[in-house]
Order: sequence, then structure tokens, then C-alpha cells
Amino acid sequence: MLEAFKKVGQLVLSLSGVVVIWSLFANSGFISQNLFPTPGQVWHAAIDLYQDGVLMSDLRISLTRAAIGFSIGASLGILLGLLTARVKIVSIAIEPFLNLLRPIPAIALVPVAIVWFGIGEGSKYFVISYTVFLAVWLNTHAGASDVASTYIRAARSLGASRTREFFEVIIPASAPAIFVGLRLGAALAFLSLVAAELSGASAGIGFRLQDARQFIRTDRMFVGLIQLGILGALLDAAFAYTGRRLVHWENA
Amino acid sequence: MDTQTKIGRIDIKGAEVTFKAPKGRKIEALVATDLVIEAGSFISLIGPSGCGKSTLLNAVGGFVPLTAGTIELDGEPVTGINPDVGVVFQQYALFPWFTALGNVMFALKRFKISKEERLKRAYAALKEVGLEGREKTFPGQLSGGMRQRVALARVFVTSPKVLLMDEPFGALDAQTRVAMHEILLRIWEAHRTTVLFVTHDVDEALILSDRAHIMSAGPGRIIETMEVTQERPRHVDNIGPDFLTARNHIIRLLRQPGAEDH
Repeated sequence: MLEAFKKVGQLVLSLSGVVVIWSLFANSGFISQNLFPTPGQVWHAAIDLYQDGVLMSDLRISLTRAAIGFSIGASLGILLGLLTARVKIVSIAIEPFLNLLRPIPAIALVPVAIVWFGIGEGSKYFVISYTVFLAVWLNTHAGASDVASTYIRAARSLGASRTREFFEVIIPASAPAIFVGLRLGAALAFLSLVAAELSGASAGIGFRLQDARQFIRTDRMFVGLIQLGILGALLDAAFAYTGRRLVHWENA
Repeated sequence: MDTQTKIGRIDIKGAEVTFKAPKGRKIEALVATDLVIEAGSFISLIGPSGCGKSTLLNAVGGFVPLTAGTIELDGEPVTGINPDVGVVFQQYALFPWFTALGNVMFALKRFKISKEERLKRAYAALKEVGLEGREKTFPGQLSGGMRQRVALARVFVTSPKVLLMDEPFGALDAQTRVAMHEILLRIWEAHRTTVLFVTHDVDEALILSDRAHIMSAGPGRIIETMEVTQERPRHVDNIGPDFLTARNHIIRLLRQPGAEDH
């Protein structure tokens, strides 16, 4: 309890410090407020966007895209990661191909995605799930390849079938690594979400940033950036918390 | 006891294990070994690392294939991992994602008995090792000695014909180890499973076993077999002259050139 109180205090202190310095800098006259808005102007822009209804609808649209893309990518990543780590034929067949895909950044896929899926939702899901998939697959594969041999020996000498071994030993033993992948994947989902929305969308936080650029509304851009920051941090904390609870034995 | 109905006899005939080393070299982990382990006896394998004691144990468990020879359990050749052979590992090998109870239940799942019956047996097994009230605890929250007690419960609950123990108490402190010896002997006397116990601790071998095989490295082989005739219970704080003579003899054997630790 005291620990939580301390953390909140630290957060408030750090954020108010940033706002004070930001305010001093923006009001100093060194730089035009059109290029670098004050905290007050950003606050007003946020209120305007909220009253227009676009603040919340952008949030909802972007979160939905990220969630759908993440779910597709994460499920495929876990499934294929377990298979490439534990099934020889699958590993021989697709591991080299996946290693070839790995260095291709998500942004490079945006033009291809637009040609394939248009500028609708399909191309967003594709780019996001692709990025999430690679991160989750890689971590799941590493975790499931690395299961301690004593666990497997113990399971077999206790008469567990291969199916039971897979579900009751391999999967839980890989769970900590899978969670690392999911947490990384969640952060990357946001990265690729914005990349996809910047180049062709009619709503969403990324679109709003691009839209504000047309009118040189830096205050609105700042609103979008702050939204992304808060959302990302909250999501990461949620993943870390869930991960700690589900793989409780890791820190014991 | 009627010798006809006894189960858990191991016949090792010319068992040999060779590992391939880089550059086409071969390592003789175990030279051709003949050994008969009577059903229900407590046998120790003692020696320095590299003497083949773990290799022999792993061969009986079906973890390591033989290069030559055979190992038979009650007349059936050992061809792979066999659930009739229980194993207690040095690194506990408990599943940290299951509770103590969950770990014992894991072992019972292969039996076609009702869940109530499984639960009843699992609770009884944990009680037998003195862990009543700790059933819902995860291994990470238990001390080293308690973890190894869960491992004992997990293996004894299935009534294996043979129990293999590979330096099971090597990671424990001296006091906990003495307590574990008492628990192990108490359970063993109740179940009378054949036990093959690997250790590098001479006192441990003499306190626990009916017979100790002293092994040596380079190549791994049995160099002497010693009967331990002293009555049970034996205690480290109550050792007679026979015990000391045996102990000194084994330590001298292990010190000889060729028996050195690598």
C-alpha cells in the first residue's frame, strides 16, 4: 500500500516537473508557439477534440485496430512458435523463411498492404498482426526450445503421454518467454498501428496526427502524442501485471 | 517375505555405455558391467564424478541407451523410459507451475482411477512425507528439503518397482540431509521398493544402503562392492567401529590414482 502511494507520488512529481519546464520553455519567446504550443494550448485542443467527439472515437478506432491485429498476430505467433520449437518437420519447413522475414520492418510492408487490402481496416490488421506475430513467434520459439530436460524426463518417467507433456509441461514452461513476447508485441502493435494510420486512414490517432499536420496544428499533434504515450504506458503496465500473476512461479 | 512374489529385481549383464566425443574419439563412460540388484534392496553407487555412476543409473532408467549388453527389470529388457521406474532428480524437477498437490496428482493421472481416489492418494502421500497442510503451496515457496519431500511423495505415490535417486540430497545442508535420510528410510521400509542411490558422500551411502558399489573413473567401472551389515536404524551420531572401518576403507579406495576426481 505504502509502496503504491510512493509510486503515485513519484509519478505526479515527475509529470508536474515536466509540465513546468515545458511551460517555461514554450512561454520564453525563443520559439513560436505555433511550432511549440504551451501546456494550456494543448489542454484546450484536447477539450475541443473531446467536444467534437473525435478524441474518443479516434481512441476507440485505434484501440480496436490494435486489439484485433494483436490478437491475430499473437495467436499465430504462439501457435507457430510452439510448433517450430517442438515439431522437427515444421521447424525445417518454415524456420528459415521466418528468419528471412524478421529483418523486414513493418513500415516497409505498409505500401504492399495498401495494394493488397486497400486503405480500409484490412491493411491495418495485416501490418499490426505481422509485427506482433514476429515478436511473439520469436520469443515463444526461444522459450519452447529451451525447456529444461529434467522437466521432460520427469514427465516421461511419470508416465505422461506426449499430449499431456505438451499441455502440462512444455506450455507452462514456455509461458514466461511467451509473456515477454506478448508484452513486446503490445508495444510494437502501437508502433505499427501509427505507421499504418499515418499513410492512409480516415480516422484514428495516427490519422489525426497527419490531419493536424495539414493545418500546422501542433497543439493537436501534441494531444495525439500524449494520447499514444498514456495508452502505451497503461497497456504495458497491464501486461506486466497480468504476466506476473499468470507466471507467478518465475519470481518466487 | 516370499521371494517368488518380490518385484523390482534388476539384472545388468555386460552393460556398456560409450559416448562419442569430437574428432571421432570415444569416451568409455561405463565398461562392460555385470550386476544383480535384488528386489527390495537399497543399493548405493558411490564414486567421483566421471566414474559412470550416473550413467549406470540413467541406463537403468532408460534415459541413456546401452552400447552393448542388457539391463532387465524383472526379466523384461529396459528399452526406454518406463513409468515403473521412479526417478528423484538432484535438481528436484518439480513443476513450479503446479502446487505440491498438483505435482503429486500429475504422477497419478496415468492410472485409471476416479479423481476422488487420486486426491485421496495424493493427500496421503504428502502426509507420509510430513507435508500435511502444505498441499496448496507452490514449490517456489518451499525450502529445498520440503521440495525434495514433494519429489519423494510424487514418486512413491505411484508405487514404482524401482526407484532411482541421482544425488537427491546433494544440494541440501547437512542437518536437512539427515532429516531426509530418516524420511526416505521410513518410506522405503513401508514400500520396500528397490532403490538405486547415486552419491559421492560416503557417510550417506553407509547410512542408507544394504550394499555399496564403489566406482572409479577413466574408464567408469565398479572397483569394489561392500556389504553394509549394521542394523538399522543407523545414525551419524551413533556409529560403531565397523562403520568407521568401512568408511576409511572406501575413502582410501576413492583416493587411489585412477579414482581421482577429474
